[in-house]
Amino acid sequence: MRSAESQAHRRRKQRAIVMVACLVGCAPAAAAEYQFHGYAAQGFVYTTENNFFGESSDGSTDYYEAGLNASVQLRPDLMLAGQAAIRDAGISDDGTLRLDYALADYRFLANVDSSAGVRIGKVKNAMGFYNETRDVIFTRPGVLLPSVYSDNQNQRSLVFTAPGAQLYGNRTLGRHEWSFTGTANVDRNVRKSDERLLIDLGGLPFDLRIKDSWNAQIMDSLDGGMWQFGVSYFFGRFTLATPDAIGIAGTFDVGLTLFSARYNAERFSLTAEYVLNPNTNRVTAGGIEILRSRLVAERSYLQGEYRLTPQWALMARLDAAFSDRDDRSGRGFAAANPGADRKSRQSRDVTLGVNWRPDEHWGVWGEYHWIDGTASLQPLENPNGPSDNRWSLLMLMAAYKF
Amino acid sequence: MRIKPALLGIVALLLTGACGQLRAQTAEIIVNPTVEQVPLDRERLRAIFTMRLKAWPNGPPIRVFVLPDNDPLSDRFYRERLGMYSYVLRSLWDRMVFTGTGLAPTVVRSEEEMRALVQATPGAIGYVSKEGGAWYLRFPRHVPLAHVESPHS
Repeated sequence: MRSAESQAHRRRKQRAIVMVACLVGCAPAAAAEYQFHGYAAQGFVYTTENNFFGESSDGSTDYYEAGLNASVQLRPDLMLAGQAAIRDAGISDDGTLRLDYALADYRFLANVDSSAGVRIGKVKNAMGFYNETRDVIFTRPGVLLPSVYSDNQNQRSLVFTAPGAQLYGNRTLGRHEWSFTGTANVDRNVRKSDERLLIDLGGLPFDLRIKDSWNAQIMDSLDGGMWQFGVSYFFGRFTLATPDAIGIAGTFDVGLTLFSARYNAERFSLTAEYVLNPNTNRVTAGGIEILRSRLVAERSYLQGEYRLTPQWALMARLDAAFSDRDDRSGRGFAAANPGADRKSRQSRDVTLGVNWRPDEHWGVWGEYHWIDGTASLQPLENPNGPSDNRWSLLMLMAAYKF
Repeated sequence: MRIKPALLGIVALLLTGACGQLRAQTAEIIVNPTVEQVPLDRERLRAIFTMRLKAWPNGPPIRVFVLPDNDPLSDRFYRERLGMYSYVLRSLWDRMVFTGTGLAPTVVRSEEEMRALVQATPGAIGYVSKEGGAWYLRFPRHVPLAHVESPHS
């Protein structure tokens, strides 16, 4: 810290420039600090076969995302924040305006080596490295998130963001900085546009809600973020209800256990994540059980990023997703469901991408995916079934943030 | 023998790259005169610049000012004093900004603006370049992350 003498000297030296700065506009000294930020991104998607995020086999611009937020630090221990967002991604998201988060954050412990607080309102759920900011391309490694995050597989509405209460804390111990986030979400309705992706009752009316969902994450960051290790857990229960005359009811339990690891070097980063995703489904008709199943899906990836210059970066990723880890090949499924394609139960994706950021506000991303398997496709977007198991996906995105 | 010209070329390239960084000087921390004397060790600086610590021990809010991420001085300051890379900090800040869990530091365009704003803003902290760092500090590639201590801490 500077001595009082040299501070006084510097003060004299800088009086003139300070006066000039104050003419331009000095923030009121003790007033609350506030910030506005936003992002907007437009994508282009082209597939050699099948449709992904829109009518992509003809080239689609049906993929965009934008958001605007405000944060006010009322006191060092009290902050209010909210964000409105829109996103369109083919059939899996419909571009309606939504409240992304709106929360009050009270930090009851704040020391150099430890902090803790509670957030109330609509909060983002900490899952893996990317879930909380999954719609902001500047925080992602590329246009499409790894399959661990199920961007096109209907779990967004479940895990992304929800009203509830969140407890968080940090503790620094030597080289380690431990952080914890735990969230309990309240019972909530599933949007109609998401319901159609999750349940098909052949046109019968139904209502789907999410009950009893909670999640927790523990992260260890070593040496200022050079190494990062995390475990995230999520549990949520969908409940299906139909009018009494139909009498169909169901519960669908979704669990996610996600392991995360990353090494951040000067020029490159290596990231790997693995998720186990048990799904337990129970459906009754007139009180009699007509379906009971349990499947454990499994998804993982290994990703390298290389920063050629501060403006240019390359990305490569190997990604694999299996709908049933006890039947990775899908042969069991195909045998039990005559006519079904075993390749619909898996997806292997090799991705190469490039990113250009001319300045702090703008970014352009491009990536090419070589994909074997169709587990990542939306049936409603491919009504006649996949046209080929081996397909390629080109994604481009231009984005702005402030 | 054919390898030699190629090797020389690579060495020349590396040297050019290093010399391009010659203007980058070591960083020194500046704070607003209202800020009380506290030891600015790495742990506290990390807590401040990752926006986790929001008030000085005697109460006033901390206001963090930084130069743009790609400014060589930012790079030096983050490496030398925080033991962190610029891109790791930016991803932390972006995550806070887009989840409503924290404010980002205020980015200033020049060292002059940095001095003026830190001088004018109670509780402010920032960094500027310091003349006359040891010669080896002028080659950022050779500065091991988080192992160079400035005598001013």
